[in-house]
Amino acid sequence: MTNKRKIETPLQRQNRHKAMECVAVLDKLKNDFDIKLDAMGYFYDLCEKVYIKKESIYSKSIKIGTLCLQVPSEIIYALDAVPIRLCNGFHTDDEIGSDFATSKACPLVKATIGEFNSGNFTDKPDIVVSPTTCDQKSKSGAIIESFGYEVYDMEFPRTKESEEAREYWRRSVRRFAKDISLVLNKKLKRGKLKEAIKKVGYAQYLYHQLNELRKEDNPPINGNDMFLLTNAFFFDNIDNWTKAVEKVLEEAKTKLDNNIKKNSVRVVYTGSPPIFPNLKIPMIIEQSDGIIVADETCSSNRMFNDMVSVDEWFLYDMVDSVADRYLKGCTCPIFTKNSDRIRRIIDLVKSHRAEGIVYQAFAGCQVYEMEQRSVLEAMEKEGIPILYLESDYSPSHLGQLTTRVEAFIESLKNRRRKKV
Amino acid sequence: MNKIKKLINYMDLRKVRFWIQIFFFILFVYGTYLFVDLGRNLPIFSCGYNRASGGNCYFLALQHQLARPWWRLFSYASVGVLTGFLTFLAWFVIFNKAWCGYACPIGTLQDWITSFRKMLKIPYSTYTVEQYRFLKKMKYVFLFIVIIFPLMLGLGLLDGEWRGAFCKMCPGRLITPLFSGDFSQWTIDFSNATAIFLTSFGIGFTVLFFIGSFVKKRFFCFYCPMSAMHYIFSDWALLKLKKDGDKCTKCGDCYNVCDMQIKDIADDVKSKNILRDDCIFCMKCVAACPEDDALHVDILNMKIFSSTKGGFSKRMEIIKDDK
Ligand code: SF4
Ligand code: SF4
Ligand code: SF4
Ligand code: SF4
Repeated sequence: MTNKRKIETPLQRQNRHKAMECVAVLDKLKNDFDIKLDAMGYFYDLCEKVYIKKESIYSKSIKIGTLCLQVPSEIIYALDAVPIRLCNGFHTDDEIGSDFATSKACPLVKATIGEFNSGNFTDKPDIVVSPTTCDQKSKSGAIIESFGYEVYDMEFPRTKESEEAREYWRRSVRRFAKDISLVLNKKLKRGKLKEAIKKVGYAQYLYHQLNELRKEDNPPINGNDMFLLTNAFFFDNIDNWTKAVEKVLEEAKTKLDNNIKKNSVRVVYTGSPPIFPNLKIPMIIEQSDGIIVADETCSSNRMFNDMVSVDEWFLYDMVDSVADRYLKGCTCPIFTKNSDRIRRIIDLVKSHRAEGIVYQAFAGCQVYEMEQRSVLEAMEKEGIPILYLESDYSPSHLGQLTTRVEAFIESLKNRRRKKV
Repeated sequence: MNKIKKLINYMDLRKVRFWIQIFFFILFVYGTYLFVDLGRNLPIFSCGYNRASGGNCYFLALQHQLARPWWRLFSYASVGVLTGFLTFLAWFVIFNKAWCGYACPIGTLQDWITSFRKMLKIPYSTYTVEQYRFLKKMKYVFLFIVIIFPLMLGLGLLDGEWRGAFCKMCPGRLITPLFSGDFSQWTIDFSNATAIFLTSFGIGFTVLFFIGSFVKKRFFCFYCPMSAMHYIFSDWALLKLKKDGDKCTKCGDCYNVCDMQIKDIADDVKSKNILRDDCIFCMKCVAACPEDDALHVDILNMKIFSSTKGGFSKRMEIIKDDK
């Protein structure tokens, strides 16, 4: 009688599965790698807190859910709300979402839709902002709306070179600032926005400092930890985040000299964004004696890379400058041309002395798949070895992916030997 | 050495520039009182009509010299013309267009008008791309008036009423003397039709100068023939504005702060020498660039001021200083 099993509700089942995904990855992160930083503990705990214990981070603040990195968080912070980026990495949610999009759709989009469908959030967004970036993201906004959420479409241009595009996006951002401030019934104030720009700028600054250390012979932080840390920026309280990263940075600096000399192969990661707990490919790379020294993805580098510069510290100039940051330097593949992305990758390879590149595209992510050819060609021209992989959130094909990554790393090692 | 380098790269350009501009403004507008005379061949609009000027705009002399009959222009008597030109070039070659960003009193005055607008919290305006492309040619039209009109005068194709035509049209002539209390230039010369036209144009242009520079940063510089003249010789200059395209992310931060709306500064990742004809070499772009060494100011290939992430963050007040 006593051990009669309760029937699990779908919600409980979802939570249990997500917790399992979470634990599996956190265990690996904590135990499988040589490069360790105690200060990373904050981020492991944070993931546990949010995804396993389901403890909310924001009890009082109004939460603005964002479906892409293009939503200017500076403006949201300035209005005393908090941005939560809801790009999702759970296979459990991906399966739920499959029913609402084609099964061939991008797993990230499906997982995001899935989470919204379940409504099972630790911090549930009050409004959802959906920038019209790629087709699937744009359409997912409407699907999410049909679940009963308030969705705000933010128009985003698909070229960025022209003045017209710049002006179009600036208008979009100005309108966003106005509309959101109306909804929140808060006036956008000069001092607040300035403070927010500096706050986000400082987070970016810390990221860049950490990245600087990855240029060293023995990077004191591995790529997986780095992804986890940047992922946390999606949802963590920004003040806590910066404090925690300061600590990571401090500790990483002390590890520069006394690190055990390792000869891992230095890799730059590019392509579809690894989002916790889908760290599948980065994990395989670093388990196969590679080390990710830099990345070009929207869950990490692209989110922090370009900083806002303001000429006149008044609302009119600040809002426009913030807008520019999200468009001009962005290396997202949704844009017509991609020379900036190629240049960024090459620059990262050079500055971080990487020996090869791993390019992952989510099966179903058209833009990354379509851009693959041009990037591969450009890298061939530069003489940089590159491996192209397609994967999704499912645990299948793991063996095959591992074999390919291992072979690639091995070939890079051979190349190194030949050079010496 | 590294310490000095960092000190420069992390400097608050705004403040440094502000004080340099005040220094030169006083020097050029009140030079005579300080017993300073830097000659008549300066590559800036430090107007010779201002009696207190500490050195004069080259265009006054140039127009005068070129207006002699051609047989005299190509005779020994014109050695003076040549030395004048060489002196102008020598001045220019040292600082390149930084004369505009730091030393020209008319340039500085526009920056002060901008500061005044900022105090009133009024947003600035910009040109659209089409307006920009069209209007930027104007400075070459004015340069044509500065150089070709006097030559035509010497040839007898224009009559004496066109003597010093550009000066009559130039806001420099009306504005700079004001600072030494001289309002006499604010008159229309009724002696003949040409003079009426030129001097009224001058007054109109000056009024436009004040309104224009209130709504648009460095409004006048965009039309300034001196700027066009600079550009012809800027390749020979010692001070250079350079770009390392590989390090540039095309983020547009530099473009965003550029008073002259120079789009190439962000979008051109091929040119090494990134100085454009509209540029006033204010170096605001270098200060606003967050990428290490993407933009830099060189003297003889030696970097003297480079964009740095740290310097950027400090100027943006993101950090106090970094270790
Ligand atoms: S009027 Fe203008 S061009 Fe003539 S000397 Fe004065 S500043 Fe120069
Ligand atoms: S461009 Fe501007 S700063 Fe330069 S000489 Fe002309 S008025 Fe002076
Ligand atoms: S600010 Fe620097 S990185 Fe950005 S576009 Fe200009 S030169 Fe390039
Ligand atoms: S390009 Fe740079 S130096 Fe030239 S005017 Fe623009 S901001 Fe100033």
